Amino acid sequence: MKLLTLVFFCLLPVSSMAHHVLGRPSYSLGEDSNTPPSMQVETQIGEYYVTYMAFPAFPKPNEPGRLNLYAKRIDNGKSFPGQVTFKVLDDNWFSSKEELLGTQAPDDSVFRQGFVFSKEGDYIIRAEFQDKEPYIIDFPLRIGEPSAIGPLGLTVGLIVVILISVNLTQRRRMQRLQAGRHHAENQHNSP
Amino acid sequence: MIDFSALLNWDGLRLTGEGMMMHPGLPDGWVNLIVLSVVLLSLYGILTTAGPQTERRYSLRGLPVSGKLLHRMVTRPWVLLAFRSLFVSIFLLVIISGLFGTPIPERNLATTLTWTIWWTGLIIAVFFFGSAWCAVCPWDVSATWLVRLRLWQRGNNTNSLQLKVPKQLRNIWPATLMFVVLTWLELGYGMTTSPYATALLCLVIVVLALVSQVLYERKAFCRYFCSVGRTIGFYAGLSPVAIRPVDENICLQCKTLECYHGNQTIEPCPTSLVIGRSKQNTFCTSCGACSQSCPYQNVNWGLRNIGSEAIHFIRPHWDEAWFVLVLLSLTAFHGLTMLPGWEQWVSRLAQAIGDSGQLLWSFSIGMILAMLIPMMIYAVVILLLKVAIKSEQEYKRLFALLALPLIPLAFAYHLAHNLNHLFRESIGISAVIMNPLGRDTLPLSGHELHMRHMSPLVPDAWTFAMQAGLIVLGFQLAVRILQNRAAGLPAGYDQIMVKGVMTLLLVSLTLLNVWLLMQPMVMRM
Repeated sequence: MKLLTLVFFCLLPVSSMAHHVLGRPSYSLGEDSNTPPSMQVETQIGEYYVTYMAFPAFPKPNEPGRLNLYAKRIDNGKSFPGQVTFKVLDDNWFSSKEELLGTQAPDDSVFRQGFVFSKEGDYIIRAEFQDKEPYIIDFPLRIGEPSAIGPLGLTVGLIVVILISVNLTQRRRMQRLQAGRHHAENQHNSP
Repeated sequence: MIDFSALLNWDGLRLTGEGMMMHPGLPDGWVNLIVLSVVLLSLYGILTTAGPQTERRYSLRGLPVSGKLLHRMVTRPWVLLAFRSLFVSIFLLVIISGLFGTPIPERNLATTLTWTIWWTGLIIAVFFFGSAWCAVCPWDVSATWLVRLRLWQRGNNTNSLQLKVPKQLRNIWPATLMFVVLTWLELGYGMTTSPYATALLCLVIVVLALVSQVLYERKAFCRYFCSVGRTIGFYAGLSPVAIRPVDENICLQCKTLECYHGNQTIEPCPTSLVIGRSKQNTFCTSCGACSQSCPYQNVNWGLRNIGSEAIHFIRPHWDEAWFVLVLLSLTAFHGLTMLPGWEQWVSRLAQAIGDSGQLLWSFSIGMILAMLIPMMIYAVVILLLKVAIKSEQEYKRLFALLALPLIPLAFAYHLAHNLNHLFRESIGISAVIMNPLGRDTLPLSGHELHMRHMSPLVPDAWTFAMQAGLIVLGFQLAVRILQNRAAGLPAGYDQIMVKGVMTLLLVSLTLLNVWLLMQPMVMRM
């Protein structure tokens, strides 16, 4: 049986503008603008259009949040009637830790899942449901501030390493050239 | 008049895009005027022959008061240093905003300044200032400062191996590749909507520029690898301003060529040009090294006829012709992806091939097709033309020569398309400048979006007039380039046939661009 899986590999804090581009998260205010903004991703997988919403858009550790998921068939627009299981994974190549968040039945066609994360970091929320075939959809969720020192430190480090390596190489080349010149001059001057 | 919008209207591509803010398309009245102008210019181009090869020039040094001021500016390094410092500071602020600021793109300086102001405004600036951007480009300036360890004056090259660029890389294929990658990142991956990714891109390009400088002599990155620089270079060939000798005779008698070699304090030309003998702006970075090192102070900014360089002087090259084709197709592709129907098309393709997530496979297929179709049409047209006129010129030479008229078509559409972005999407930039990191800001509300949509910087009627004018100007330049280049073909070739076939191609491409401008376009911000 074919397993339909959707993974957002690009887990940078990608966002989008006023309109929703499939697969790209967008930020929007609710009708009541006193509430914090939410993050929404619309995409498609197999027979379904899937809309995923995280509220608040920028959750912090120990702050309760919720996920809403809505799936409708592309061909006839009917909502998915079954259950959806939500799991959470560390967004880390070296970790395969997976935790169950809960299994939800539709509430007015929307699958709602609450969450509280205790640690900052990048996570993957996995939603699984079964129609004629199993569907697995992964969405990125960042808790807390992104790590900005990483890329900056990496770039500065890389530049320093490149400059030092080239400087050393170039000095050696110059020394070799000078030595060669001296050698040639000595040979020329010798009787 | 032909209502070709109806002819070209296929299923789903003229949706009004419910829930989306749309830029209005070019009205029919302007379209009719463009079509009429295109028909008349086509007939003129086919039935008349090119005039003599002249380029009227006027050095800005001759201006009454500002001429002297400009002369001081271009011959002393501190003015350029001040501009460079300013742009590098802004660039650093962009990186900091992108890495540490809000991920909401319309509230972050990294995305608004980079993609809405700089990326759109840059193309417009090329028309007025030629390749001046390259002189202050923070990618190159930061890399140069780090490698030379000096803010100005000639460095001692201890941080550079000064190797010669390998022969295989001495062309602009790397820049073409970079252009394709950047477009994919911009439109497919959605770099324009991610402050963080925008900052990362800035850092990556600085590292690339730096690596190029530590390995190779002069500025190989600017000359061969930078797609932005090459785009500016080709478009600058149409600009009415360029750095040129004030008196060509002085340059002809010059034996020391400081402009090429530099002097004790000033760097040599970064792209290996002898400015006194150069008639082509494609590789000039306006860096000021020639104007500062010239012992006769004979190099300055000058005015010339719009497009005269492309009409008379740009030398055709195989790799550069491909760059122009990529430029032409990808500028049109930009417009295509902003049509409300594009996403539906990608979605349908994704369903057909089982793509999901950001639908990057489907997008990439669309992008490849958008590049390949015009390229293949052009390649086939040139092949047929070569057979029809029994040309003895090799295919590559004809291919490169006849690609030159495509430059103004790409430039005109690029400018017309960018006007929409700049006039409508740059509203609100002052708030972003006041709070570049977008701390404690919220996404655009429906009301704000509506206000932006309803109050562009420039009234719609003016924008439409400018767009129409640009398309006609672009076509007129294309026709003149074609006339001149066809006149340069060996005697005995059927010039009317060359001009006729190529004009048909130019008309088709112009109509495609006009059709794209007619469509309502999805706002990015």
